[in-house]
Amino acid sequence: MPPIEQPASTKTRDVEILVVVVCLAAFLLTCLLAQWPEGQSKVSAKGFGIILAAGLTLIMYSFLYRDNPLFKAAENLYVGVTLGYTLITTYRLSLKPDIIDPLFIDPPTLGVFAGELARRFVPIVLGFFLLTRLSRKYAWLSRYSYTFMVGWGAGIGIPIVVHTFILQQIQPAIRPLLDAETFRALTPFSWLTLSSPALWSIIGTLVILVGTVCVLFYFFFSMEHKGAGGAVSRVGIWFLMISFGASFGYTVMARVSLLIGRVQFLMEQWLGIAGR
Amino acid sequence: MFYKRSLPLIICFVMGVLAFCQEFVAHPSADAFREEMTTWFRIMGGFAVFIGAYSLLHMHVTRIRQRQQGWGYSAFVFLGAAATIAAGVVEEILKGMGTFEEGKSFSSFDWLYDYIQVPCGATIFSILAFFMASAAFRTFRARNTGAFLLLAAAIIVMFGNVPISEEVGRWLFPNSSGWQMIFPRANAVLMEYPNLAAKRGILIGISLGGISQSLRILLGIERSYLGGGE
Amino acid sequence: MKITPEATLRRQEITRRIIYALVALAVITPFIYALPVKFKPMTLSKNLYDKVESLKPGTPVLLALDYEPSSMAELQPMSIAILRHCFRRNLRVIVMTHWNTGVGLCKDVCEKMAAEAGKESGKDFVFLGFKPGYQNLVLNMGENLLGAFDKDFYQKPTEGMPVLEGLRSLKDIPLVINIAAGASIDGLWIPYGRDRFGFDLGAGCTAVMAPDLYPYLQSKQLIGLLGGLRGAADYETLIAKPEAATKGMQAQSLTHVLLIVLLIGANIVYIGRRYYGPKEA
Repeated sequence: MPPIEQPASTKTRDVEILVVVVCLAAFLLTCLLAQWPEGQSKVSAKGFGIILAAGLTLIMYSFLYRDNPLFKAAENLYVGVTLGYTLITTYRLSLKPDIIDPLFIDPPTLGVFAGELARRFVPIVLGFFLLTRLSRKYAWLSRYSYTFMVGWGAGIGIPIVVHTFILQQIQPAIRPLLDAETFRALTPFSWLTLSSPALWSIIGTLVILVGTVCVLFYFFFSMEHKGAGGAVSRVGIWFLMISFGASFGYTVMARVSLLIGRVQFLMEQWLGIAGR
Repeated sequence: MFYKRSLPLIICFVMGVLAFCQEFVAHPSADAFREEMTTWFRIMGGFAVFIGAYSLLHMHVTRIRQRQQGWGYSAFVFLGAAATIAAGVVEEILKGMGTFEEGKSFSSFDWLYDYIQVPCGATIFSILAFFMASAAFRTFRARNTGAFLLLAAAIIVMFGNVPISEEVGRWLFPNSSGWQMIFPRANAVLMEYPNLAAKRGILIGISLGGISQSLRILLGIERSYLGGGE
Repeated sequence: MKITPEATLRRQEITRRIIYALVALAVITPFIYALPVKFKPMTLSKNLYDKVESLKPGTPVLLALDYEPSSMAELQPMSIAILRHCFRRNLRVIVMTHWNTGVGLCKDVCEKMAAEAGKESGKDFVFLGFKPGYQNLVLNMGENLLGAFDKDFYQKPTEGMPVLEGLRSLKDIPLVINIAAGASIDGLWIPYGRDRFGFDLGAGCTAVMAPDLYPYLQSKQLIGLLGGLRGAADYETLIAKPEAATKGMQAQSLTHVLLIVLLIGANIVYIGRRYYGPKEA
């Protein structure tokens, strides 16, 4: 009688379980064999924490192979811990010192309590109104809280945006070109040999000014970009492509840095291979 | 209804105008008004976190209740949150009793942060390094002038920012100290001129859009922040 | 031979895994075999260092550490180096954060660096902790610093603290350094802080954000910038204490070279196929 062939799905699951067991055994063996600095015990809160952190790190990296139950469990655990941490920290550092302590813990007399409550009454009520956003029946109460915050933010934002992001940005783009001292430093010789710092300062400022105007023109869609306008728009695109390339380069640098940080932890703290 | 829609819009307008005007009033009362308002919003901000917490927990409770795909994993969310909150609450109680000193006593709350939240949070974003490398290799092609400029700029920045570029410069120009720094200098020139120009253009454009959006909010044209309903 | 979609997918899968393995190898190798790393700090990093170096002992400095674990690899080394420098200069250091998920990291950095330098909380430095409010918090601090933070992280009253003596608001602090992962620098500290209250603002940011901040450097709204791990390594070099960031530059160098080789190689093959390969009928 021929041997009974196991279905493919059961075979795959068996292989997966075997892989998990082998990985777990390898991880535990590595933890045992790792040489930690003297004074750092593996059987301690910090020691167990480092082992747990290393395990969670490797579980997260298992996603590179493919999504798996261990990764999903670790991801959800992380979400839960973050939620708990956020709630406790907000209570401890915001609600307690700003509301609970001044109203219920600190005040020695009813008069002091009344004074503190009067100061905080409106923001506390508006704070509770914020929470009514979660109720279908009373969500309209939250509109009062949002309108206070949004109205304030919009109103205070207008002069700040005009000053910080427009006027303060236009000024350095133009001022060097209006500086008589810079032009007085130029000589015919420096024009020919390109040797004057003042000349390069003017060229640089012109490049920035031309680039800024071309980029702004590119985003002006109210007229068709044809002819001279098309040429200006094309120059704007070139400047944008260069800046996107720079952003891409820096983004690669950022992501690689994050990876280096985790590998540093695994090599130095978990495996005890101190930086050689 | 007036008090459900019109009154909030009036409050938004009044607050916006007051916020705008106090920027230009040098009187101490304007400073006092600004201090009071910012204190109010600071206190209100402490309540906002509970909206996010409720939404997240509600989503996971619904997932468990309806036995949606992957509902078992939601138990880990509750496990993590419960453990952290319990650790924090116990610590607060012990602080009240005077038996816990921040920075000196062992803190299980900090332990959960240091050995679960920190490694998981740091690792999740570091995975992007691999995806970025793979995606760039597979899709980043110099198909036209713009793409070529993008690629060239990326390579100049990536090479100019690392120490090995200075080693290469020293190898290429052993006798010329000025030229040895050619790659970092190329990176600096690229960042300080064409990149700066483009970013400034984008910044000014976004700012103009932001001003127009703020005016729309103040005048009641933009009302999405009010939420749905009548 | 006709190439099936399954074969294409399988080839892409294998290519992907090879790239992952190469990247991992490039990052891990320098931790086993150290590469020589010598570099000159960038001008932007030196500007920030020079500013801190120019402050007289006892000058107050505010450090806003607005980041969380997802960006700690780049920003924590910066915070450590700057705190070390500030303590070395005997400056009065005030630390706070806008991110409640980063409170633990800020606390660790403050306590470790203070212990190393022999500094005392309340006397030489203060960790104010976190408060919500974002721009409203900065505006609040700009009017009344002790009103915004009436207690520090350890729940000690800030009123009467020696380190905060004579400080009423942000106007009394000559230098603020913001180490940020999000839009805190250009969305918060420049418009609502520096431009209103007149202090000098230095910044440390993730490499992703660095290109966006160059306009503010030219307009002098920022006096110096540490961009990513390279910025942190620059600062460590300047204070003559190379640590995590400087070591990380070895792996950074190797990985960047690998990625550049892959990009250039892929494009050479692409251009070769496009211009010299068999033309489709």
